[in-house]
Amino acid sequence: MAKIGVMSFAHMHALSYAACLNELPEAELRAVWDDDAARGQEQAAAFGTTFVADLDAFLALDLDGVIIASENVKHREMVERAAAAGKWILCEKPLAPTVEDCRAMVAACQTAGVGLGTAFPCRYIPSVMAVKDELDKGVYGEIYAASCTNNGQFPGGWFARQALSGGGATMDHTVHVADLLRWMLNREFTRVYCENGRLLRPGIDVDDVGSLHMEMEGGVIVSHIASWNRAASFPTWGDVTLELIGEKGVVSVDAFNQKLHVYDDAGMRAAWDYWGGNPDLGLVRGFVAAVDARREPDITGVDGMKAVEVTVAAYASAKSHHMVAIG
Amino acid sequence: MNLGVIGCNTMGLMHCQMAENAGLKVVACGDISRDNARKAARKFGAEAVGDCVALCNRDDVDVVAVCTPTPTHTEYIQAAAGAGKHVFCEKPLGRTLETIDEALAAVERAGVKLYVGHVVRFFQEFEAMKARIDAGKIGNVGFVKTYRGGIFPGGKLGWFSDWNMSGGVTLDTIVHDMDWLRYVFGDPERIFAQNLKRVFSERIDYALVTMRMKCGTICNIVGTWAHPSGFRVKVDICGERGMVTFDSSEAPVSAQLRLGAGSGPSTIVPASPVLVSPYQLEWEDFAGWLAGTRKPRVTPEDGRWAVRMALAALESAETGQPVEFN
Repeated sequence: MAKIGVMSFAHMHALSYAACLNELPEAELRAVWDDDAARGQEQAAAFGTTFVADLDAFLALDLDGVIIASENVKHREMVERAAAAGKWILCEKPLAPTVEDCRAMVAACQTAGVGLGTAFPCRYIPSVMAVKDELDKGVYGEIYAASCTNNGQFPGGWFARQALSGGGATMDHTVHVADLLRWMLNREFTRVYCENGRLLRPGIDVDDVGSLHMEMEGGVIVSHIASWNRAASFPTWGDVTLELIGEKGVVSVDAFNQKLHVYDDAGMRAAWDYWGGNPDLGLVRGFVAAVDARREPDITGVDGMKAVEVTVAAYASAKSHHMVAIG
Repeated sequence: MNLGVIGCNTMGLMHCQMAENAGLKVVACGDISRDNARKAARKFGAEAVGDCVALCNRDDVDVVAVCTPTPTHTEYIQAAAGAGKHVFCEKPLGRTLETIDEALAAVERAGVKLYVGHVVRFFQEFEAMKARIDAGKIGNVGFVKTYRGGIFPGGKLGWFSDWNMSGGVTLDTIVHDMDWLRYVFGDPERIFAQNLKRVFSERIDYALVTMRMKCGTICNIVGTWAHPSGFRVKVDICGERGMVTFDSSEAPVSAQLRLGAGSGPSTIVPASPVLVSPYQLEWEDFAGWLAGTRKPRVTPEDGRWAVRMALAALESAETGQPVEFN
């Protein structure tokens, strides 16, 4: 039984990770720490576990691993503290706002001899896994191009504050797809061009739309939309889509297009209700297995850093209006 | 008004019909293939002409419709204008800005009217989207994504697969979206593009474009000639106060024919019938301009701008850097 703690519920994904820990028989949600004590207490109670207010006391607990879901800019310090305490770590994406932070985090975990995983649950979406399998079997032959989106509704809160997020939609919604493409096509990114801006939410201090063009090793061309462009009235939170153009065919993935159309007079709103397999469960299960075996998680800190390299280069491109090298 | 058409393949025949629906009379059908010209002439009760330049000089022709492969557009526009005829030209207006400028100068000199077939401006769904945007229903628009294409186009002469002639999916297909985006959001500031020209010999093209408009709006345009079948158009328009989306795969009619035994599965063909074809609407617009009763929705300058955007996209794809519009 792996004893896991959750550090911070600032990112709403922590709610799902905590639920997954409670669902998995091989894991125990042992304790919660949060720098927002009220939030931590509330969530600890909701998930039937203990809240520990002091971080040193929390890290002194008999925990095998921690899941960190704080604001982006706090990831580095929390990872370094948890690594020093010998905990296995699953860190929310993006791993950090800067490549320098990512490097330090990866190094800290290496030094401490603990595993560091990045929370890229999209690798566990059933449709994505099915297409990855076909790609590996060569069903589509060589892949020439990809057109992708990760659109979302405006998350608000700290996501829209540069000082806590380190970046806007371009940062928040590029890394999932960047990681998927690296994993599915087994290639690294080489260059990126980006147009972005604060175009839909005048009051915020980060970008809310990014249009990226990337190149991968071997000349694969990629368009990606990273955005918070979905209307508040949109029937779901957003999407993850990929269209891959290959030698032997094309394949399109609309990863969450397993949905019921729900018309509820109580809310007077139409909604899409996703009924497909929960990708977070695969992510957390994979992390728990790595903790148990005391090995590196399947999706590593280096994977997290590689995706951050793309976003950092994208921001540089958006500023200079030039295509720039990645990494 | 009497119409002479140059180029009597699919588009030429279609434009003849639409022009007649809009009140013009087809009197001459020209094609370098005599056979094509004869077939079209028979259908419309017109005269078949093998020499397309001579067609422009006929006294009974008032308007010339140019429906030939892209690189030949401008020479026929010049011939028609030189003969004092008004011209309808299928998009794109030309293959290069130099030949377009020569043609526009000839039109200007002759004092004739030139209409460019940017028919997407007349598609009912695009009209409905523009109306919502213009009425401010979704607030200021910050982002638009368009998607257009499907199977690699055939074309009797196979000229689409000749890059120097067609310019690929960028100049031939998403030039529609570039034109419509400029029509709705104004001039572009900068364009960046990638494409698959390197596998063009395999009859695959795929274009990925981002255009930054002067108003700040970011437009992402995807064009495909890379699909083994089908044709699809998708639009995603995101504003401060809402969104509008369109997907041509959501059509009211979806037909599937039962083929004979052993012939394999048939293809589902979606259809979205409209009361009046957008091609007819564009001919009515041109006819109204010719009659002096309305201003054209598409100007020669619009046609030049559309090619300018598409060529800038091709240049960007070549250099790997954006192209600025000054």
